[in-house]
Order: sequence, then structure tokens, then C-alpha cells
Amino acid sequence: MIDKPSHVPEYLALLAASDADQFLTEGLLKGEEVHAGIDLAKVVESFPTREARRSAEPIRSLVEDAMYAFAEDRPKADAWLAPRLHATLRLTRREAAEKRLWNHLALAVAPDYVVWRHLGKERVSAERFRGAADRQCFSRLWWAAELFRNGSDYEPVEAACGSQDLIHNTLRLDLIDHRPTAQALVRLLRSGLGGREVNALWTAINTAGATLIHDALAPDEPRDPTPLRNWIAAAESAPPVDRYNLPEGPDEEPVPEDSVEALVKHFTELFETAPVRGRKTEE
Amino acid sequence: MKIYPYKRLNRPVALRVTSVSLKLPDGSWDKLETTAYSTQQQTVALGVAGHSDWVSARIGLSVTLPPGANAPDAAWSDLRVLAVLTDGETNLRTSSDLTRDTDDGHDWSGSVDVHRDDHLGRVSLAAYAVGTVDEVPGRSVAETDRSWIVDTVSDDPVQELRLEVRRASFRNSAREWLRSYADAPWIVDVSARVPTVFVNTDVEGIAGLLDCEGSGVDSKVRDLLVAQMSTDAWTAVFQGAIGDLEVEPGTGPVFPTDWRGEVLREMLPDIVPGVHVEEALRQVHRRRTGDSGWVELQTRVHYAAVRRADATKALVHVVRGLEQMNRESET
Repeated sequence: MIDKPSHVPEYLALLAASDADQFLTEGLLKGEEVHAGIDLAKVVESFPTREARRSAEPIRSLVEDAMYAFAEDRPKADAWLAPRLHATLRLTRREAAEKRLWNHLALAVAPDYVVWRHLGKERVSAERFRGAADRQCFSRLWWAAELFRNGSDYEPVEAACGSQDLIHNTLRLDLIDHRPTAQALVRLLRSGLGGREVNALWTAINTAGATLIHDALAPDEPRDPTPLRNWIAAAESAPPVDRYNLPEGPDEEPVPEDSVEALVKHFTELFETAPVRGRKTEE
Repeated sequence: MKIYPYKRLNRPVALRVTSVSLKLPDGSWDKLETTAYSTQQQTVALGVAGHSDWVSARIGLSVTLPPGANAPDAAWSDLRVLAVLTDGETNLRTSSDLTRDTDDGHDWSGSVDVHRDDHLGRVSLAAYAVGTVDEVPGRSVAETDRSWIVDTVSDDPVQELRLEVRRASFRNSAREWLRSYADAPWIVDVSARVPTVFVNTDVEGIAGLLDCEGSGVDSKVRDLLVAQMSTDAWTAVFQGAIGDLEVEPGTGPVFPTDWRGEVLREMLPDIVPGVHVEEALRQVHRRRTGDSGWVELQTRVHYAAVRRADATKALVHVVRGLEQMNRESET
């Protein structure tokens, strides 16, 4: 398996997908050979300011620790890395929607991690380097952490990322963007539903969701941009994230408990009658 | 058509934007002119005031429910109206409750907040009338049929997706991949965040032609050139959008959440006319991944692109211009 490139950049930057393509060689996708990093550095667009949160070293250190700790069970690295990556990068959603950032992270900073985590029988799918947000190696973890965290609490993220089925199938669907829905799903996962059952439930929720407005059933707190801005500003002086304890996210209001409970109850009922409802509301 | 297992209103909710204010970093508010939004286009352009550092935007809304919403024998109770903001690129969904203007009226009003940190481009805004039907709370009984677009960047409220146009010397570009296209006048890159047309400034005169103003023949030739470029661009973005569709087991292909989804929704009615866009997407996906029919579809794709690019109009203008010139040189 490949090692890190001989030249790893000091800071994160932006790498356009069309520029990334030339480095996605057969050798890299097969995990046999990595680019040196020098040529890649020529086509990236740097951020105008050097902020601590754009530093590449903390990310390198995290992925190396993950590769060491989860060598025996690589998918398990997701639940460990997702909250720590989120708390290290400290991004707004606006910044995280910029795919060029993730291209750079995967290709310039940690291609060896992408290969380590996603090498299948023969090769890594190119979408793990520069793909949709819910498929790309690092952006899927960041978005899972963003969508499943409960305010500053990353514990639900660990639970959600512990189920490959859950993060593989739910991230791309709009329903998960409703915070109480995400928390209710984690609650059900914790109460002992297996991956396959969660999938069946998710299908039922999604079908019923076509006629139900979850925001009305389970209202959320209005969003306030200030805690996130403060948390991002604090990145300059924040120590590296803890390896053993979960980090703390931005100090945002948690999801209203009543709303989570209402949805857990609603989903439980839905699950019991899922096949019938599924058929009734089909297009 | 979606089939609902309960009674609903059969007409859409009408949603209008009535005011837009930007909150600036110092806490002050800037109330935008009415040119920041267009009721006809159903679009809000937050870039119009030229603030690049705004924190959030408060959008005032007014909603009119279709007749029957308040009927005494209606199948629903606990009627509420929600305005919902969604952004597929940032996975954001927020909602706000509107209040009823008068006890017996169909009119509701309120506002939604759009936070700049939460969006990169375009946000959808819809309104839902929600009630308890057959003892099930939270059911949608009517909604807007077409969402408003809140563009967080644009300074012009238009509904259509704008392509980005960039100029570069292909031979000397820092973008190394452009160098292999040094002999092409333009290239469409659909892998970028928004589809981008790169214009090759190495082609002599192309920049001058694109910049020309006035009503002479050169400006008509420019329009023709632009139409040609946009035909290429629309064709490329359609192929790009249909090329990596997510397929949901059981239900088929899913509309992408970024510009690809917008492109598909806009072009599919010209490519598979007469059916619902969801069905059109399924048909096109079947033809692309199945054994046959993809090649035959290319003519329709081209037609849809030509229509969007206004190619016919540009061509007719050039022909008229040339005819006039010839007439003048004869006399």
C-alpha cells in the first residue's frame, strides 16, 4: 500500500476537479503508486490568509493515528475520525460545500488514507477522492458529523458513523437535514435496531415523509450563526483534539428534546406498519 | 403525479416576498430596494446591495391559501403555514411558522432568516399549509407549486441558472489541463461547482468580439457566438448531469441537489415532452444505461440546448444584419 506523498503541503488549499484528474492515476487508484506532491502544488489555489484551522499537520496526525488504531477494522475508523475531523477543520457549511477543499485534502494531504480506508478488491473508486459530498472520503465524514451532532455533542455522530448502512444511505436524502429527524434516527439505532432494520425504517420514513412535514411535527430551534462563528475564531488558540475523549463542537442549542421524542414515537409506529404505509403512498 | 392517501386542497399556495433586509457585521440592518427581488421570476438576489460581508438576510413573506383552506367542513384541523428554506448543497433545512393576518382570511405573513455562513449559492424557499388529517398531525394539505430561489451571490434576480464564463490563455494557463485544448476557441468544464465556459484568449480577436457593444453587425455576430457557446454548454451540462445520477433501489434515479438537478428539471420537458419530470428522468436514465435509445435521444438533447441558447434568434438577427449591409452596399 502507498505511503504519503514526499511533499505534503503545509496548508489546506483548493484543487479543482479538472485539475485533480491528472493525479488520479491507475497506480494511485490501485494503491500502488502515489504522486510526489510537487506537481500538484502548482495547480492549487491557496487561501488568502494562513489560519490555524487550515493547517495540514493536525489532519495528517489524525489520519496516521486512525490508520494505526484501526488497522484490523478499517470501517471502524469512520466513527472515530468524523467528530475529530469536524472539530479540527472548524468550517461553516458554506465552506464545506466547496468541493475543491475536499479534493485537496484527499489528493494532496492524505491520499494514503483514502487508499487505506477504501481500497476494495483491486482499486479505490475515484469518487472517494473527488466525488459527491456523501461519497468523498473526508467530506462524507464531515457532513455526517455536521448533520448528526447535537449542538456541541458529538456522541450521536459516533453512533451514526458506527452504522455504515446509515451513513451510506441517509446522507444524500433531504429528510436528514432536519435536525430532530437525524437525532431520532440515532436514538432508534441506539435502542438496538440493526443496520438492515434502520434501512427498512429509513425507506418507510422517506415514503411517509412525502406527505408529512417533519418541521410541523417536531419543530427545531431557530439557527443562530454566532456560536459557530465564535467556535471558528477560537480555532487559532485551540489545542489539538483529544484522541481518547470526544471533542466539543460549537456551542449551539441542542435539538429540542420534545421534538426528538415525538419523532421517535412516530417512527416506531411507522416501523410497525411500514409495509402497508409504504404501498399506500407510492407514486 | 403524487397520490395522497387523504384529502388535500387542489390548488397551490401562493407565496410572495414583500421585503428583504440584510444584517451587517456591526448589527445594523440594510433594507434592500424592491429590485432585489422579482415576483414574476420568483427570485431574490442578495448580492444586489454590494455587501460581501452580510451576516444574515431577513426575508418578509406573505402567503395566500387557496379557496377552501378555512372551510368549516374541511378535512383538516389545526391549520398552520410554514415557510421552509432548503439548500441541497449545504444540506440545510430550516422552517419558520407564519401567522394568520386575520381570523377568517386566507392570508398569512411572517419572515425567514437566511444565514450567509449556511449557503454557497442558491437556496429554495417554499411554503406549506399543514394540518391534522384523519388524526395524523403534520400532513401537508397544500404547498407552493414552484419554489422561490434565494440567490446569495447574484446581483440580479433571475430564475435560470447562470453559467460562469472565464477567459484564459489556454497555451499559458496555470490550469495545466487547459493547455491540451490550445487550438479550441472555448471549452466547457462541467466538473466545477457551477458549469464554466473557458474562452481561449489565444484566438485572435475573440476577446474584442465578446466585448463589443452597439448595434452593428459585430454585436450580432457576438450574439451568434454566445449562442453557439451556450448551446455547447447546455449540451455538456446535460450530459454531465445525467452522467452520474444516484439511483435509489426501488424508486430509480434521484434528482441531484445542485445545479445538475436544476439543469435536468429545465431541459427534461423538451427532451421527453408530455410527461412529469420524474418520469422523464427515469426514461432518459433507462435509455442511457439500457441497451438502446441513447443515440436517438441526442437529437432531443441538442434541440433542448438550442432552445435554451436562443440560437435561432441570434441567427435570424445576423442574417437580417447581413441583408441590410448588402442592400446598403448596392445603393
